[in-house]
Amino acid sequence: MKKKILIFATLFIALFSLYQILYAEQPLTNWLQNPATPLAKDVRTNFWISMLAILPFLLLSEGLLFYAIVKFKAKPNAKPATFHENVRLEIAWTILPALALIIIAFPTFTTLKKMEVPPKSDLVVEVIGHQFFWEYKYPKYEINFAEKPLVVPVNKVVTLNCTSVDVIHSWFVPAFGVKQDANPGRITHAWFKALQTGTYKGQCAELCGALHALMYITVKVVTDEEFETWLEKNKPVPVTPTEATAPVKSKT
Amino acid sequence: MSDYKKSKLDGIKDWLTTTNHKKIGIMYLWFALFNAVVGGSLAGLIRTQLFNPEGKLLTPEMYNQVMSMHGTLMIFFVIIPAMVGFGNYIVPIQIGARDMAFPKLNALTFWIQIPAALLMFSSFLVPGGTTQAGWTGYAPLTSKAFSGTPGVDMWIFGLHLVGMGSILGAINFLVTIINMRAPGMKFFKMPLLSWTWFVNAVLMLVATPVLAGAITMLLSDRHLGTSFFQPAGGGDPILYQHLFWFYSHPAVYIMVLPGMGLVSMVLPAFAHKKIFGYKGLVLATCGIGFIGFLVWGHHMFASGIDPVLRSIFAFMTMVIAVPTGIKIFSWIATIWGGTLRFTTAMKFGLAFISLFVIGGMSGLTLAVIPFDVQVHDTYYVVAHLHYVLFGGSMMTLLAGLFFYFPKMSGRVLDEKLGKISFWHIFIGMNLTFLPMHWLGIMGMTRRVSSYPQRPEFAFLNRFEMLGYLLMLGGGILILYNIFKTLRKPKTATADPWDVNGIQNTLEWTISSPPPPENFETIPVVR
Repeated sequence: MKKKILIFATLFIALFSLYQILYAEQPLTNWLQNPATPLAKDVRTNFWISMLAILPFLLLSEGLLFYAIVKFKAKPNAKPATFHENVRLEIAWTILPALALIIIAFPTFTTLKKMEVPPKSDLVVEVIGHQFFWEYKYPKYEINFAEKPLVVPVNKVVTLNCTSVDVIHSWFVPAFGVKQDANPGRITHAWFKALQTGTYKGQCAELCGALHALMYITVKVVTDEEFETWLEKNKPVPVTPTEATAPVKSKT
Repeated sequence: MSDYKKSKLDGIKDWLTTTNHKKIGIMYLWFALFNAVVGGSLAGLIRTQLFNPEGKLLTPEMYNQVMSMHGTLMIFFVIIPAMVGFGNYIVPIQIGARDMAFPKLNALTFWIQIPAALLMFSSFLVPGGTTQAGWTGYAPLTSKAFSGTPGVDMWIFGLHLVGMGSILGAINFLVTIINMRAPGMKFFKMPLLSWTWFVNAVLMLVATPVLAGAITMLLSDRHLGTSFFQPAGGGDPILYQHLFWFYSHPAVYIMVLPGMGLVSMVLPAFAHKKIFGYKGLVLATCGIGFIGFLVWGHHMFASGIDPVLRSIFAFMTMVIAVPTGIKIFSWIATIWGGTLRFTTAMKFGLAFISLFVIGGMSGLTLAVIPFDVQVHDTYYVVAHLHYVLFGGSMMTLLAGLFFYFPKMSGRVLDEKLGKISFWHIFIGMNLTFLPMHWLGIMGMTRRVSSYPQRPEFAFLNRFEMLGYLLMLGGGILILYNIFKTLRKPKTATADPWDVNGIQNTLEWTISSPPPPENFETIPVVR
């Protein structure tokens, strides 16, 4: 039996590393491997601290279980032990995990505070979920578009006000450490500060209907100058009422 | 009586009209087994669909239906009825009663499940198909505007019926356990399976009406023009999530507590040692039951609810790890120093502990809000919930099946086949669900019918197919084992596992299968 488990474990690890090698040229952008914002880095730290507190218990219980299975296999003439109570032991395994929870709780609540209290905002973007695309509004620049990548400047605090016009969607970009549900009839908030220029992928995370899987998010993080030219290019053209028939998907 | 020749028809009539708790229990188990075959096949469709990033097997609409129904069936029509089946059969015997307190109500509780299941199955056939909103059925996706299909109404009515069954069954279990214990069977002498059922019945009784209320509001939003969850009319979709999870988080414990009871019967029997820390286990069960009502908000960390509220829910979620830890350590201490006999039931019981530890720990990471938000609605959560419900509930059910099958049928299941099926299921389960943790961390969202933009997810999804095939093989072997064994003569003794002297529970003192009234004279427990 042990042999079998060993074989499967090696097989799994071998295949897993093969996979890692095969896909090495594609940078995996998520909060764990390539965090692109300070918040995502905090999430990563928070994750590892929690793991530090959780893993010993995982290894301890699995290890004890495995040891007991190997050690106490029935042998001829072996007599089973008869103990079935030990108050001290029971108190210990109640209090120790409770103490470990404190180690998990503190960084959790401090990181939560960082998530919830954004620094001074440099750019406000309204994110509006539709079945099955995203609409973005830059209230300050009166820019409004849909089904195109969100463009933001690098190293600037971008705050998002999310809502939806139909069902619940969720704005999720793994590299930013941001996931925020966009609920109809409510406005929710999120923020990020991208540290590097580049294109980041994400997608809607809350089941929103048939094409939920294809409701992508692309964020282009550009330099300040590029952002200025982009703003210039996308400046709203004054629209006379007769021209307003263009099929712009907005909720007005 | 002797002149009367029993025909085959009488046998069927007997099953259809029975109010005997044992026969009803067995019918529950058959019902769950049948639904498990359907739900397992749907899982196969899901895995085949995700084998390639493009997902060409099913249309997105069809995929969402399959995925929604897989969840609904496995939770409400497989795990819960199977748990009820074992509870219905064993609990009255264990506490020394001749039947449940309300035998006719008991029959109703079972028969109400049949139209519920029929509604679920036939909802695939109506124009527009069944619900596409997942087993959670979040508003407003399930509102008339976004899911016009009558399939959603059938889904709601199906859940209503199941919920009604749950409430009635819970009342029956509570009355039975409180009033019908044999003389001398004090609460703190009750075997752990009966204890978990007592706590479980409380959970069902308190939580289920809330679900019924939530889906009734959904129904009235759909057809009566109300707007409980419609923002346009001043309603709030978040309210649905609160109500739904107020039921559905305790429901997780409804699905796993009786299983913990089953494992608490199996482990001492094959370790030849009394259960360790009986009182601790009872108190931990009560603790889990109580705290289970205070953690529902951890399903909503990304929906934008108040951060203070989120912190409280996260804290309570961490707290619930403490009684769960007590249970895990008590089980390990139970087998510690024993002489272990690795029967199939024991193997499933031990596998339950090791898998539930993983599921529990990944659950604990989900209390870490910043991390939870990142993996919320990704495959990490799918992995977690399958470790808890498959590695947890399903393993305990299979342990219970191999353990109690001789008591129920008078025949011992084939151990050799059983062990082969165990290794298939245990290894397959890990191959399927372990990689999902990684997929979720990489950012693969759940409930997607394809992932053409992220072909790097394909490898692990294909790998998981291997695990599914192994589990499928194990499942088929178990079915074969059951049908093969049922054709054999009834040779099992009253105590086929030699547990008397280790745990003196009443079910092993009467013949296998037990007489219709269980006990000729009600036993006195000392």
